[in-house]
Amino acid sequence: MDVSDAVVDHLRRVAALPDLTGTRYELESEIGRGGLGVVYRAHDRQLDRCVALKILDSALAGEAQLIARLEHPAIVPIYETGTLPDGRVFYAMKLITGARLDEYLAGSPSLGERLRVLRRVGEALAFAHTRGAIHRDLKPQNVMVGEFGEVYVMDWGVDGVAGTPAFRAPDARLDERSDIYSLGALVQFLLPASALPALRAIAAKAMNADPGARYPDVPALLDDVERFQEGLAVEAWSEPVWHRLRRFGSRNAVLLWLLAAYAGVKFVLFFLRRL
Amino acid sequence: MDRDTAIGGPQGRFPSTQASLVEAAAAGLTSEALERVMALYWKPVYRYIRLKFRKNNEDAKDLTQAFFAAALERDFFARFDPAKASFRTYLRMAVERFAANQHAAASRQKRGGDVEFEPVEEQAATTESPEEIFEREWRRQLFSVALDDLRAYCEGCGKQLQFRIFEAYDLAGGERPSYALLAARHGIAETAVTNHLAWARRTLRALVNERLRGVTSGEQELRKEMRLVWM
Repeated sequence: MDVSDAVVDHLRRVAALPDLTGTRYELESEIGRGGLGVVYRAHDRQLDRCVALKILDSALAGEAQLIARLEHPAIVPIYETGTLPDGRVFYAMKLITGARLDEYLAGSPSLGERLRVLRRVGEALAFAHTRGAIHRDLKPQNVMVGEFGEVYVMDWGVDGVAGTPAFRAPDARLDERSDIYSLGALVQFLLPASALPALRAIAAKAMNADPGARYPDVPALLDDVERFQEGLAVEAWSEPVWHRLRRFGSRNAVLLWLLAAYAGVKFVLFFLRRL
Repeated sequence: MDRDTAIGGPQGRFPSTQASLVEAAAAGLTSEALERVMALYWKPVYRYIRLKFRKNNEDAKDLTQAFFAAALERDFFARFDPAKASFRTYLRMAVERFAANQHAAASRQKRGGDVEFEPVEEQAATTESPEEIFEREWRRQLFSVALDDLRAYCEGCGKQLQFRIFEAYDLAGGERPSYALLAARHGIAETAVTNHLAWARRTLRALVNERLRGVTSGEQELRKEMRLVWM
C-alpha cells in the first residue's frame, strides 16, 4: 500500500498516542517532544485537574521510577507512574505554567535574579546527584520559571539521551561531571553581555573539556557563585592586582570612606592648630 | 523521468514475532532475514541508487537486484557489527560501495570512459540529499509494509470494519471525514468509531515495531529505531 509522506507523518503522530484506558487520565493535547518521550496535557478525572503526562519507552521503566523519587522544590513533582497496555511507561506530573528559561530571559531580568534562578537549578542538580540521578540534557528549554518565581528543572534524562549539542559535555560517557558542564553552559547562557570576568571564568571552569578540571561537584560551583555575590575572590579566576584592589574597595567602601573622612579631619585640624 | 518500479513492494502477510538480524544470522536463516530486509529496503535502495548515481529506472532496478543477490552470497549479515553503526547505515554504505564499484566498472567499459547520466528531475527540484531521501523512503516503506500487515491481519480476524474506518480517516489524502459521518456511513455509534480507530492505530504501532525488530540487530538498536520512528 503506497502512502504519502503527509499520511506517514499523520500515522506517526496518531499511532503513538497513548491508550489511557484503565487510567484516570484523559488526553487533551501534545505539549512537546523530547529525546526519549512525548509529553501530553491530560485531565485527571479523579482529582479534576490538568497534569502533564510523559510517555516513555518500556525499557525506561526503572529510570522513570528513579526520577519519580526525586522530591525537591525545584524538581517537578511526579504524581504517579504506570504502564500502558502496549508496554510503554508513563508518569503524570505537575503541569507547570510559566515561562521557559529562554523566554524568561527575554524580559531582561537583573543579574541578581538570573543568579537566583541558577542557584535553584544547581540545588536541584546537586540533590539529584546525591540520589544517583543525572539530568543528561540540561538546557534552557528544560528549566521553567513559574508564575510565582519558582524554578523547576524538567525533563530529567534517562539512559540513552544524547543531549543538546550546545549544552552537552564532550564526554564519551555522561555522568555528574557532564551535568556540571551543562550547568556551566547554562551560566554562560544566563549571563548578560556585560557580565563580569569572574562569572565568565566560573562558566569556563565548569565547561572545561577535561572533566577532571571542572568543579568536583555542583555545590563547589554554587559556592564560587556565592563568593562572587559576596564580593570575594572566586576559585575559577586568578584576578589581576588592580582588579583585586577594586574589589577590595567596593567590598570595604564604608570603611574606606570613614578612613578618608578621619584623615581629612586630621588634616584640617593640623592646619587649624598652626594658625 | 520514467516511473519508479513496483518491484520489492509489500509482502502482505502478518508477521509473527520476528527474530533480530543477529539471531537470524546465528540460526542460519540468512535468506529469511534478507527477505525481511528487502521488503523494507528494496525501494529505498533503488531510489538511492537512482538519485545518487543518476541511473535510469532499469539500470537502478538491475543494480538494486544485483546488490541484494550479492548480499546473500557475500555473508552480508555476518559482517554487520551493531557496535559500529545501525543496520540502516551499514546497508546504505554497502549499497554506496557496491553501486560505486559497478558504476566505475561500467564506465571503464565505455570508450573514453564517458558516462551518460540520466537527468533526475526530482533531485534538481529538492534540497534533500540522496541520504535524506533514502531515510524518508525507508520510513514510508516501513509504514507501507505495516499497513499491508494491518489489512491482512484485519481480514484474518474479521475486523474489516475497523480497517475500513481507519482507512477512511487516517489514510485520507485530503480532508478527513468527521466521526459522525463515518458513524452514519457504517451504522455505528460515534464512540465505536473512536474505539475502532484507537484499536487500528495501536495495532499498526505494534506491527511497525515488529517490522523494525526484524531488521535490527537486537533490543538496543530496536529501541533507537523506535524512537526515531515515533518521536
